[in-house]
Amino acid sequence: MALRQTPSLKGEDPFRRIIEACFRREVDSATPFPNETEDLIETGILDSMAWVSFLRAVETASGVSDLGSVLNEQPASIASVLAALRESSKKPLASDHSQRGIGRPAGTLSVLITASCSAQGSRVVPSEEVDHAFGMPIGKLRKRAGIESLAYATKRENELTLGAKTAEEALRDASYGAQELDWIIATSETHHDYPALSAQLHSRLLARENCGALDVGGGCLGLLNALAVAQSLIASGVARTIAVVTADVHSRTLTPDCVAGEFGGLFGDGASAFLLRREEDARGGFGYRLGEFLFGCAGQYAAAIRVAGKKGGGLDVKFEGEALSRAAITRMEMVISAVEMRSGIPRASVGGFATHQPNPRLLTLLAKQCGVSPDAFPPICRTSGNLGSSMCGAALHTALQNAARAEARQRKPIFLTSLGPGLLFGGSWLTPA
Amino acid sequence: MERMLCTTGFTAKTAEELFGLLRNAAVKQRERQKFQSIRPIPASAHSWNYFPHQRGDILEFSLTPFSGASPHVEDRVSMRDFRKTAAVAEPEVASYLGKAECSDSLRGLFECAIHENRQGSGVYAYPTEARRSICGCHTKNLRLELYGNELRATLVLFSGEVARDLPVVDRDWLDFTDAAENRGANRAARLERFLNSQFQYKIMSCPHYFVRIGLTRPYREACWLMLDTLFPIPKADWLEEF
Repeated sequence: MALRQTPSLKGEDPFRRIIEACFRREVDSATPFPNETEDLIETGILDSMAWVSFLRAVETASGVSDLGSVLNEQPASIASVLAALRESSKKPLASDHSQRGIGRPAGTLSVLITASCSAQGSRVVPSEEVDHAFGMPIGKLRKRAGIESLAYATKRENELTLGAKTAEEALRDASYGAQELDWIIATSETHHDYPALSAQLHSRLLARENCGALDVGGGCLGLLNALAVAQSLIASGVARTIAVVTADVHSRTLTPDCVAGEFGGLFGDGASAFLLRREEDARGGFGYRLGEFLFGCAGQYAAAIRVAGKKGGGLDVKFEGEALSRAAITRMEMVISAVEMRSGIPRASVGGFATHQPNPRLLTLLAKQCGVSPDAFPPICRTSGNLGSSMCGAALHTALQNAARAEARQRKPIFLTSLGPGLLFGGSWLTPA
Repeated sequence: MERMLCTTGFTAKTAEELFGLLRNAAVKQRERQKFQSIRPIPASAHSWNYFPHQRGDILEFSLTPFSGASPHVEDRVSMRDFRKTAAVAEPEVASYLGKAECSDSLRGLFECAIHENRQGSGVYAYPTEARRSICGCHTKNLRLELYGNELRATLVLFSGEVARDLPVVDRDWLDFTDAAENRGANRAARLERFLNSQFQYKIMSCPHYFVRIGLTRPYREACWLMLDTLFPIPKADWLEEF
């Protein structure tokens, strides 16, 4: 069964909204919206490049994949695209390997985030101290990246302790016991030991023996991957309550003797946890409904960041800072646009942007590029550094906390966007339950 | 008179854009095995309404010595008709192309940054930044796709970088897909099956597999990347297989 939580204006056809918005991107504002049956290429309204670009944009915005294949041997018209979208929305999800689309039949299995928590390493180190440790000019991290301090794990802290702490806090906050968990889904870009992090969390939290434990990857995109898996497990009916936990301790691997300060100096340590539950099983109170997810991989930027283990120890890091920064901002803005279009929620009405935060300078740039207030981005990285897969989690937790403090009717949607090496990208949205 | 190896490309169904290779005379003797691309053009247009010669033909010609405006620096105005003097086989053409402009990375293709279209699909270079408009490359993988009736290519270079949704403008490949689409029922579906299954075997495993990427003329201040040439050239008898 498919999920369907897309908010749309009363009576508005979401397909038509998407088609019109994508068409507008390809033509100048003076071009009138064409007659539905006109062949856009034959009439010269779009050239063949713009036609393909238009279809790709519709795919991204609607979540319906392989639209172009469906439209082979069809006229290049708005009517054809509209018909293909409507036809695709009728297909049962089981026979469709694509991501869920906007027009899929409405289901009842909405998934809520009912509680959250985040934590940072307890040792707060001024960025100048980190500059010094990495042999960089004092003030470089503050001036170039906008980082004031970094949160480092103490000797007693690691991925497990930080992750368990946040998971326990989230469970307590929602008044759930660990025995109610059906799955623990963990993600970390620094924990590579066995037993895996989810298994260690399973034991530490004393979950039921038949509670599943799963680790998912994706680097800084890990939280979104984990949330999407959790949403699918709940929506499919095999799980009712899931804990998604992120935990990253960079300070033990990205050390001055292993990596350059321009890379290693950006990262801090932290964790986050989210409790997900089927809406109808939620026990009332605060909650945010998870929207659809969109994912992808922009391989053209793959070379901008590569990390591999060296033979005999150490890390081989390829990090093209400027190229990666440009790619990150461009791609996150694209994802926000796609989320905006697919959800039908204008970015101006979003209460918080829980995005990956490479550094404060880039976060400001992203806000500017998106044309939204920087205040809508919880400023986590300024005082903790880049927390890897926990970055988006810490930002989401803060956004949820801000929303919880507001009156229920004043709560606004939250956009979720992140990136990972590859260049993996993903996005989603949350709406108040 | 000079001699040129014809390696034609194709930009539209009504007009051909011609490419050729010249032995590079501007370099030292030990580098004489290098080649440079030229794009002969008529005096009043960027392409030819009718061009009777084939890929692999060696043509005698007479061109003006002046290069075209950047990034289409390969443009040279033709001052008289071409005359075929000989021909070389397809593998040899591909091997000559390998000795002309080549790159394994996106930036190296046109010696400038390549940008992705934020709105939809395709990748482009700025005409003020690109230093040339044609370049060869070997790829780790290549996929052709019929998408909304348009043939598109996605490729991954040896650098690991991916370029998606490049319009395929290779004359022989377009003729091949046109011919395929005119055969029997479920034509598009059958062609798709061929591109998804036989293509890898027939194309990627070919010893003279080679790709050339070109830039369109500037349009809205951008030159879009397109797949100008794909070796091997498709064979008519492949049409019998799907």
